Amino acid sequence: MAASEDTVAPSRLDFDAVVVGGGPSGLVAARELATAGARVALIEENSELGGQYYKRRRGQVLAQYGDYRPDGTSLIAQVRHAGVEVFTNRLVWGTSTDRSLLTTSTTSPDAVRFSARAIVVAAGATEHVVPFPGWQLPGVMTPGHAMHLATTDAVRVGNRVLLAGSGPFLLPVACALLASGTEVAAVVEAGRPLRPSLRAAGSLRHPGMLADLARYLTILAKHRVPIIQGARVHEALAQGNGHLGAVAITHGQVTRTFEVDTLATAFGFRPATELLQLLEVDCTVDATLGVPLPVTDAHGATSVPGVYAVGESRGIAGNKAARVRGWLAAAAIRDRLGLPTPSAQQMRAHLRRSARLDAFATLSSELYAHDRRALLQMPDHTMVCRCESVTAGEIRAAARLGWNDRNSVKGATRAGMGLCQGRECAATVSGLVSACTGEPVGCQPARMPVKPIPVSAAMALEEEIA
Amino acid sequence: MTTTDIVVIGGGILGASTAYQLARAGHRVTVLERGAPNREGSGTTAGNLHIQGIHTRRPGQAVAADNLRFLPLQRTASTLWSQLPDELDADLELTRNGGFMVAETPEQVQELHQKFDLETQLGLTCEIVSGDEARRRMPALSETVIAAEWCAEDGYANPLLVTPAYLGAARRYGAQVEAFSPVTGIEHDGGAYVVRSGHREWSAGVVIDTAGPWIADVAALAGIRLDMSPVAIQMHITTRMPLGTLTCLVQHIGAGMSVKQVGAGNILIGGGWPAEAFRAHGRSRVATDSISGNLHQAAAVLPLLRDLRLLRTWAGPLAATPDEMPVIGEVPSSPGFFVAGGTYAFTLAPLWGLVLRDLVEGNSPLEPVADLGVDRLVLDAVAHQR
Ligand SMILES: Cc1cc2nc3c(=O)[nH]c(=O)nc-3n(C[C@H](O)[C@H](O)[C@H](O)COP(=O)(O)OP(=O)(O)OC[C@H]3O[C@@H](n4cnc5c(N)ncnc54)[C@H](O)[C@@H]3O)c2cc1C
Repeated sequence: MAASEDTVAPSRLDFDAVVVGGGPSGLVAARELATAGARVALIEENSELGGQYYKRRRGQVLAQYGDYRPDGTSLIAQVRHAGVEVFTNRLVWGTSTDRSLLTTSTTSPDAVRFSARAIVVAAGATEHVVPFPGWQLPGVMTPGHAMHLATTDAVRVGNRVLLAGSGPFLLPVACALLASGTEVAAVVEAGRPLRPSLRAAGSLRHPGMLADLARYLTILAKHRVPIIQGARVHEALAQGNGHLGAVAITHGQVTRTFEVDTLATAFGFRPATELLQLLEVDCTVDATLGVPLPVTDAHGATSVPGVYAVGESRGIAGNKAARVRGWLAAAAIRDRLGLPTPSAQQMRAHLRRSARLDAFATLSSELYAHDRRALLQMPDHTMVCRCESVTAGEIRAAARLGWNDRNSVKGATRAGMGLCQGRECAATVSGLVSACTGEPVGCQPARMPVKPIPVSAAMALEEEIA
Repeated sequence: MTTTDIVVIGGGILGASTAYQLARAGHRVTVLERGAPNREGSGTTAGNLHIQGIHTRRPGQAVAADNLRFLPLQRTASTLWSQLPDELDADLELTRNGGFMVAETPEQVQELHQKFDLETQLGLTCEIVSGDEARRRMPALSETVIAAEWCAEDGYANPLLVTPAYLGAARRYGAQVEAFSPVTGIEHDGGAYVVRSGHREWSAGVVIDTAGPWIADVAALAGIRLDMSPVAIQMHITTRMPLGTLTCLVQHIGAGMSVKQVGAGNILIGGGWPAEAFRAHGRSRVATDSISGNLHQAAAVLPLLRDLRLLRTWAGPLAATPDEMPVIGEVPSSPGFFVAGGTYAFTLAPLWGLVLRDLVEGNSPLEPVADLGVDRLVLDAVAHQR
């Protein structure tokens, strides 16, 4: 089914609404819009809909292990049934001043511009990795990747895994790894979420979430997996063969070493906002993450009329919030397009649920609060920008020169200029510069193309005019 | 109020090279830069060292530049560039692999020959080769190239390194570099200029306006109206390729195009294609049509580009004069107020720094520049004469 979706002959397509990103929020937004009678395009870079959360199993794995997260399968089926025009294997790499989206097929370079009265950005999030010495070793990965391997691909991630970083996501990953037969040495959490506190008491208002937590903790206790709070990785060490062999963590004044062959680490997620930046919506800077965050109303409407941010692109709040946000944006767009809108009662219920989930996300980030400055004190020799081989020391030296700001440090060091366009290191560079200059955290602005594209795909923009 | 000899306004390559020359000559120099240095024209430039006669029209340019007038300036600049890494004691990724300017039509070939004759008269060593010979030397060139002019002195320096190196060297000679200090007012109190940035003030006998695209705005603070307009043009860069993928700079006699491989391996594609409207604050936007236009042009001459990956695009601002020629000199009505800017300022920067030093000191400059003076651009003076 995907094959025919890759190649599109006309080079300009016009819709009532275009949704970018086929994860939970994009799927719900597209379904709600199409059901109401809108002509909707859903563009997804990967070959399958689902995004990170509803990643699809395929082929043998599907046959052997069955469906993974069947609610995703049914959501995707609803989207198709509703008549959404689905464009998979298609990357939105830029925008034009007329607000059309510039896209290319990821399988055979072409150029198709999408224009619409409403654009819904549901581009998801990236895992927030903070470098430490040895993070480039084979055997070090993100929890999201470990999760993907253990669940979607149903493969063993390693023999003995250490999970480290921060955030509620580490616990389900630990459980998924245990379920796949991998030994989990420990969960190393930088915050102290599991101590009784006034804040923790706030979570009593979110019983569903508490039940999840209790379930994870029970599984970890059953497998005798310790959760070490207030600790962080300070170095990953290689074995003779160059592969990860051990991980040293700092816990207060104490250093402990775990012999493991895999380390899965990240400090939660960062919203993907490149496209929103290119559409020039007003953003604020998330000072802890060093990334721009779109300013939106409760429906996800941005400062640019007709442009909406949903899901994690609107700010990190998880899969449940993503679905509600998709629904709310669709409701506003239906109104905008003059299509039937949901009942006032449904609207209120979704707004309430969305507010509650946002409150929970805030509470959770408070619960998991940790000293981010300590994370940025990695030794000077730590590689920060892997694409361009720039170390923390080089970034600090440029920042201390006295005349550089966040953006000129990029120019002076090349940090963030490589293949990943700073997706991996930009937030760390922002934090390092801010720590050196005492200035508020800035951001690396998005540039076109959002991801590298074939030169021939950019050239195809003109063949279309001719 | 801080008293100094010279205030340089603008921390691009012109301000930096001028500050360096003046500080080295023993003057007390303060550079005032609105933001971080090297973020505007000088940090976004293609960084080509254009030594052979230039292609006279950017895409969309109304008036052709007088490329004959440029030649002696380029030749002197070429010599100065060769000495620059030693002089500044810095790695500038200076590469002098030479450059081709290609022709695809008989008319263009004729234009190449005319250019070549002028260059030869002025003592520049160039060479015109057939398409086949050009392809023998650089197999990446397409079959459509029927002749090319070769200049061994053409080259490239990494713009991200040059201006900071100049500023660092200026600082070693005692210059003050004040970043994040936008000039907000300029007054003349009879004896000296008082230059203000917010609540800070500097008093100096000499002010040098090297504010690039904002050159007229800064001059206006001193009551001088200049006929200059900022424009934005754009650049494109591919992902890294093995070194040697392209061996030299490639330009086109009839179209806006400059392509080369830089030290990190990326291939940089430019040619002065217009970006969206110039923005005084923040980056101008890249124009979609110019992306495809520039890439088509470049890939016609270098077909291998089609198979590469486009990594990034950006727009950079440029100060344009109505006659497309550089401007350099003292404002006649405002003694002690100097201006320098205009086209090809990257290539000419080492020269302009020396020339400004000479002009400030009242000496005759290394290259005569009287015809490139400010008079032709001063709007009020033009009005007074009438
Ligand atoms: C995309 C592009 C490609 C180019 N390619 C080439 C090339 O290949 N070869 C070549 O020779 N030339 C090239 N040029 C031209 C050349 O790079 C520029 O002309 C040159 O860098 C300009 O240097 P500058 O110092 O005059 O101005 P800029 O580098 O623009 O510096 C001006 C500075 O003044 C500051 N400023 C402005 N207002 C104020 C104020 N009120 N107070 C204090 N500071 C202020 C600005 O912040 C800025 O830093 C190119 C230009 C562009 C944009």
